[in-house]
Amino acid sequence: MKLLAALLIVAAPVAAQSPHARLEGRVPAAALPGIDSLIEQAAAESLPTEPLVQKALEGGAKGIPVGRLVNGVRHGLVQLRDARAIVSRATPDRVTIDDDVAAVAAALARGLDPGMVERLLAAAPPAPPPGEPPGPVLHAAADLVAHGFPADSVVDLLKTARQEGLRGSRLLDVAVAASHELQREGGRTPAEALARVRAMMPNVPVATPPRPKVVTRRAGPGS
Amino acid sequence: MTDMDPRLQEALDGERDPATLPEGLREAYARFTAAADLLRQPPAVSVADRVMAEVRRTAPVPVVSPAGVARRIARWFTRPRAVTLRLRPAWTLAIAAALAAVMLVPFRGPVTLGAEEGVAQFVGHFPGARSVEVVGSFNDWRRGALALRDDDNDGIWHGAVVLPAGQHEYMFVVDGERWVADPLAGRYVDDGFGAGRQNALLIVRP
Repeated sequence: MKLLAALLIVAAPVAAQSPHARLEGRVPAAALPGIDSLIEQAAAESLPTEPLVQKALEGGAKGIPVGRLVNGVRHGLVQLRDARAIVSRATPDRVTIDDDVAAVAAALARGLDPGMVERLLAAAPPAPPPGEPPGPVLHAAADLVAHGFPADSVVDLLKTARQEGLRGSRLLDVAVAASHELQREGGRTPAEALARVRAMMPNVPVATPPRPKVVTRRAGPGS
Repeated sequence: MTDMDPRLQEALDGERDPATLPEGLREAYARFTAAADLLRQPPAVSVADRVMAEVRRTAPVPVVSPAGVARRIARWFTRPRAVTLRLRPAWTLAIAAALAAVMLVPFRGPVTLGAEEGVAQFVGHFPGARSVEVVGSFNDWRRGALALRDDDNDGIWHGAVVLPAGQHEYMFVVDGERWVADPLAGRYVDDGFGAGRQNALLIVRP
């Protein structure tokens, strides 16, 4: 019993470290009240707070001036609100979870069109909850858009990939295959490249980078 | 101490016939010789045996309960004890050398990955740089957590680390002061601080 109590005493501060405690000393003191207030707003609206903590830590590490730092966190809060609205519209019957909202906010930060995000989420399979994490399909879409593929074609391609049974990181393989087809010698138009990839499905090549000889186990927070 | 009658002393020394002693001295002589005989005979039971028998007879039999046993074991583990380790100096040096080798030689064996983990590789071309490190969302944007290496001084800095699967934003910090988005990342995201700067984006696959 005493041992359990001792463990709780030691572990509790680590597990339940508040955002304020994590930011203290890592961001300018003048920025802390503003950032605390934004994080409290996010929590009050049941939005994930970790992306905002990360944005504040990033700004502090980069030495961003106080005004721009707080604005950066505020911009993150606006993106989270937009993301939650998109998730709710696209999947009204599913419980909205923090990871989905954070993934959609990240996709918006990558410049993905909100309408496109909503269409991709709506194409996700329904129950059982929490359903498929939206991160991979959104990143695949953002990769394809970044390579110049038209938004409508991208949504159609990824819908087809899902119908062919491709899920998770295999959707990233679809994006890699499409960009490879686009860059092939002799040149292909985006439409030709997408047609080639569509013909490959579901057997698109798996993109696996070579494993390095020396790997550090983890460079996690505080390590 | 009272002086002994010289006649009694002579009788005890065998120099006089005890029968010639007066009545009172003859009784004293008899007590002395009886005591001497007693000392000459070995006792039937040793003193140690008798003492131990008495201890066993009077000591209460302890009642052993599980909690009591647990407490005694816990006391045994927690009570400080002097430990004497005798080593030959040659063995000591050999053990120290082996420990140093384990600590200093980088681990090159295969890394076992969890179901939701992947390996992230970082490569950057920074000729003339004195240091390059990776700072990002996976280490709370903390400096000094992941340094890249350029062992052959060709300006190509590299490193690899196990990270949770998913999205991670990061930047290189060159010579401790210059923040650079990884030119080879392929994916970028605006950092949101209004100066048009971008973070590199890494997607770790499980």
